[in-house]
Amino acid sequence: MAYNKPVPRKGQHHEPFWEGAKQGKLMVPRCNDCGRVHWYPRLICPYCHSMNLRWDEASGEGRLYTYAVQHRAFGGWGEEAPYVTGFIDLAEGDRMMTVLRGVDASKPDEIQIGCKVRVEFEKVDDETYIPFWRVVEE
Amino acid sequence: MPVAHELSRAAAIVGAAESNEIGFTPERGLRITSLQHHIEAIKNVSDYTGIPISDIDGVFSAGWSSELAEHLGLRPSYIDTTSVGGCSFQIHVHHALAAIASGIIDIALVSHGEAGRSYRGGGGRGGGGRGEVSPAELATAAYGTFGAPSQYAHAMVRHMHAYGTTPEDFAHIAVVTRQWATLNPRAVMFSKETDPNGGPITVEMVQNGPMIAWPMTIAHCCMVCDHGGAVIVARPEIAMSLRTNPVWIAGAGESMGHSNMVEMADFTATSAARSSKTAYEMASMGPQDMDMAMIYDSFTITAAITAEMLGLAPRGRGHTLWKEGTAAPGGSLPINTNGGGLSFNHSGMYGMQLLVEAYRQLSQTAEDGVNGIEGKQTDSQTCIVNGTGGTLSTTGTLILEA
Repeated sequence: MAYNKPVPRKGQHHEPFWEGAKQGKLMVPRCNDCGRVHWYPRLICPYCHSMNLRWDEASGEGRLYTYAVQHRAFGGWGEEAPYVTGFIDLAEGDRMMTVLRGVDASKPDEIQIGCKVRVEFEKVDDETYIPFWRVVEE
Repeated sequence: MPVAHELSRAAAIVGAAESNEIGFTPERGLRITSLQHHIEAIKNVSDYTGIPISDIDGVFSAGWSSELAEHLGLRPSYIDTTSVGGCSFQIHVHHALAAIASGIIDIALVSHGEAGRSYRGGGGRGGGGRGEVSPAELATAAYGTFGAPSQYAHAMVRHMHAYGTTPEDFAHIAVVTRQWATLNPRAVMFSKETDPNGGPITVEMVQNGPMIAWPMTIAHCCMVCDHGGAVIVARPEIAMSLRTNPVWIAGAGESMGHSNMVEMADFTATSAARSSKTAYEMASMGPQDMDMAMIYDSFTITAAITAEMLGLAPRGRGHTLWKEGTAAPGGSLPINTNGGGLSFNHSGMYGMQLLVEAYRQLSQTAEDGVNGIEGKQTDSQTCIVNGTGGTLSTTGTLILEA
């Protein structure tokens, strides 16, 4: 079935992210001066304000920071509701949003903040893959 | 005593008014536009204070200032159109205080008009290049959130995890806020007659309502309807010459943590800790000096976290102000005496509603026949007002004094 949910528009300067995603790699921006990873991508490091940035492949591992269960949704997501959304603390630092996989939206009390998650990619088309995070065994 | 900050009490709010019809306004052929809400409120506050519109020399609004000034035929000396969500209006008062204290202007208009229901999306107006792609799209666009409730629910879950709170704890905020709304005939949820879901509610009713974004049922969420409001801020000599009771700006502060929620460091803390610290210091007052509070309650969790940030309750215990009745009618720290964004009126940006009620309470006009009946007027002499904009993003705090 064709992917029927919103897709981020491909803005300038983010080609490494989309190229990496095609190969199943999570690419994140890192500052060459202070060494910190940030998300979402910036034109300048939000920590030390260096413009000397690069793209690094992240481990694809993280921990669940918080979550919620979406009952009101529209379009393609409306067909999946209820589903769990969450924020992921990356092993490399900083945070990403996701629709969380590997959980039961009807049992939100059973989802554990701090649990281990791993990234996976869903295909939109040959040029576009989107990262989502799945709860995995410790 | 510490030396008073030079901005403290350098200006006063000298009047507040609303547009003629607010809430879920009747749709008779022509809907009331956001501009009409602005203009009616401006005319009403001018009539109320006796200040001619032509005397206004500073215009403050969330994106509307050039259109409003043109519509009114004004040639202002100070134009501020800060549009950072529902706290914009607290920030406008902060800026107006500074502009008046510095001598640039004498009389500032802060105006709000938002047909949030009738013309959805017509309230705040911001800048931004057309067609450009913000890199922030990568952060959220793909991930199934739809509007504020879908985002704020994550903060409630984190608070529950961090402090052992429960959805029922937060439901008390909706229940107590509704108690205030049943004292305010202009509140959407005043009674079953004003709205099918109006009138008193219980924790069980809150928890058994339709789920919007777990753990928030619909009564944990504010409404979206229509509102216009305006306040006039003036220098002391003018404030003392009017027929209205001045409400002094004892302290003001603003700050922000982020714009996009993915950048929020701690989902149980907002920049209100910083904006209120600035305001308290300017006022030479602290949380213990506050007689009441007007706190943006976009969601029950917003009110709880904000109460903690303002120092009105310890971290993790904000909800107890409502659960234990402190914030309720007759309580020792009344909060959201108009019925809040949860039950009075919320048009998308709620900061003006906070200001109007704070002015009315401290000027002893909360039972003026326009927006109150017996029981709603408190004897408060001080009020802390805190707006929160975006997704727990930006905050503006005012400390007002009768």
